[in-house]
Amino acid sequence: MKIVQIDKEDWENGIKKLFEVYRLFAPVKEADFHNFKQIEAGQLPDLSCLNTRLSPKSIIYPQSEVMFKYSLDENEEDHHILKEVDKDYSPQAVIGIRPCDAKAFELVRLNFDSPDYKDPYWLNAYEATTLVGLACESPCSSCFCTTAGCGPYHAEALDLLLIDNGDQYWAKVISAKGEAFLAAAGWTVAVEEQTALKEIEVKKRAAEDKISAFVKTDKLREIETNDLYTAAFWEEVSFSCINCGTCTYVCPTCWCFDIQDENRGNRGCRMRNWDSCMYPLFTLHGSGHNPRGTQLHRVRQRFMHKLKYFVDKYDAGIQCVGCGRCIRLCPVNIDIRRVCGYMNSHVASADTCEV
Amino acid sequence: MEHMGIEPDRLQFSWVSSAESTKFVKVVTEVTQAIKELGPNQNLVKTMPEVA
Amino acid sequence: MLSYIDKIKEISKRLLKEGQVDMVIGFRKGTLPMMNEPHFARSPEAVEHFVWDSNCGINLCNYLTSRTEKIGILAKGCDSRNIVTHIIENKIKRDQIVIIGVPCKGMIDRRKISAMFAGEIGEVIEDDNTITVKGKGFEKTIDKKDVLQQNCALCIHRNPVIHDEMVADAIEEQTDVDRYTDVREIEALSPQEKATYFEKLLEPCIRCYACRNACPLCYCPTCFTDESRPQWVGKGQDLTDVSTFHFLRAYHCAGRCTDCGACERSCPVGINMRVFTKKLEKDCLELFGWEAGLDPDVRPPLDTYKPGDPDDFIK
Repeated sequence: MKIVQIDKEDWENGIKKLFEVYRLFAPVKEADFHNFKQIEAGQLPDLSCLNTRLSPKSIIYPQSEVMFKYSLDENEEDHHILKEVDKDYSPQAVIGIRPCDAKAFELVRLNFDSPDYKDPYWLNAYEATTLVGLACESPCSSCFCTTAGCGPYHAEALDLLLIDNGDQYWAKVISAKGEAFLAAAGWTVAVEEQTALKEIEVKKRAAEDKISAFVKTDKLREIETNDLYTAAFWEEVSFSCINCGTCTYVCPTCWCFDIQDENRGNRGCRMRNWDSCMYPLFTLHGSGHNPRGTQLHRVRQRFMHKLKYFVDKYDAGIQCVGCGRCIRLCPVNIDIRRVCGYMNSHVASADTCEV
Repeated sequence: MEHMGIEPDRLQFSWVSSAESTKFVKVVTEVTQAIKELGPNQNLVKTMPEVA
Repeated sequence: MLSYIDKIKEISKRLLKEGQVDMVIGFRKGTLPMMNEPHFARSPEAVEHFVWDSNCGINLCNYLTSRTEKIGILAKGCDSRNIVTHIIENKIKRDQIVIIGVPCKGMIDRRKISAMFAGEIGEVIEDDNTITVKGKGFEKTIDKKDVLQQNCALCIHRNPVIHDEMVADAIEEQTDVDRYTDVREIEALSPQEKATYFEKLLEPCIRCYACRNACPLCYCPTCFTDESRPQWVGKGQDLTDVSTFHFLRAYHCAGRCTDCGACERSCPVGINMRVFTKKLEKDCLELFGWEAGLDPDVRPPLDTYKPGDPDDFIK
């Protein structure tokens, strides 16, 4: 595994060169918090941020995305035909993405790139993207990545992992895309691998030791789905939920969407928008029946999907990377760590939930 | 409406009885005149979504 | 306000023991600094989880809507006004609830406090008038008054307007506050400037609807934004649709909003959507002399007609 050294003095210069090849996305501070935004020439990634308020999933999977357009104007060629819209799938790079958020793309890929279905929009954007991660030196108290299948130095889902090493960054090359990224920036000074790896290992341990929150997930697979579904704790868990979509919209691993047609006069487009299992409309049938008619149903669905159905279906751990955003941003402080604890330690009993 | 950024003259209320034809003509003339001076509304007008 | 906790537990326990209520709705300690979670107790033992401090900003009246049990509920001034509105609007029966009044000195603004420090806040300890914020490498004591939620700093109904029990004696109401400086600033803008101002305000909105759902007034079985036949508003990120949602939501709160601040508090991206509802609140006060939720026996101005209602807008 190659490790390249980037002197911080060369950082700005390299970024400048990268604009020629990539559309660059990076944390930018607006008002009181950071978010991933496309940066323009002259702008630099703000790597001081703890983590962004919203996850970077929208870079590959926009909240609102037009897929087709159509015209009913008979004077136009191809009228009454749903046509794909042109999209920009030119190379893009996300600089400063956290290992947890990158790992989330791997989980989401299980859904958008399955043997049965391939989602062209997500996949094209994903293929065009180089993920340049920044190892996390100061995890938040609500981060629980080490027990959610990744960690502050988790590199596997990235193309390149940057490690802050004082006056320089070390860039650990993980894929060919990462290699190409370094070449485009003109960062080519390799460091002696074994020594660097040893030091990185020490830093990694130190960062992991800073993680103070954990979840236990070892029992989730073996517990009977129905026992969990009817568990009595759902009433307590769901009581305070106001059924907004914050948790699902800030989550890097939530992937659900809704398809809408929008018309203006005799032309229109078909788009998809993020949707949320927290909304009643998400499951409302044409008949008027709603199989998830109550708030309890919907809260249970979110946690069961992430922590049980996903675990059973893919055998790839939980559908959560431990970024802690849903905990920090939930208006009423529903905490997935607490719920995961209830689920993992659940013992079937006569005391069940009636809904 | 005004607080939302719609110009005050764009929304007008009038009470016109069916017997007040002259008032009706006057109101309609004034309203159309005011709207023409303002030109087409620019705020809260939806256009086709951009390709994301 | 910390001294309220024992009294809250005592009253709740008594109500549950005597069978006056089936459940009491209050708060339990949250899992993050400056957060508490709305929580219910169905047994006298369960009240032990109840807490009270300056992080109880969520409006508990939200949890009363259309419930059928007999309920004891903790109520700050604003919650109590929303309970009154619920009673007026037949969302709960007066004899179904026991209101445990909590005189409130204001809730702290966790966003504002977080923004004051570069690092993550690890712990916040409060006493009567100050809070001490601790994190890695910093510790600071701040006057609570300086970091109140804006709606709390401007609050003129800190004591519950309706109650069956009180956890403490009423406190002095603020009288020398100007509630509408921000609204007047916006009123002074030209139509175009207003439009630009709101565009910028709503630009970060992700349409999670936390503002709507945190609001005790928003209890429609199906919100207009969720109607699909017909569909009133687009579902995408088009700013016109986003603004339409916010404007219409605010209109639905006209004459009902108590400025409890739950909407702003719940927003994950820090939008102050109270500028809309406050404008309507100000209009109701100036046009009809109306403040929402003060008396369950008075019908609100928007569902009554009086010959003296202002009609200058009709030419």
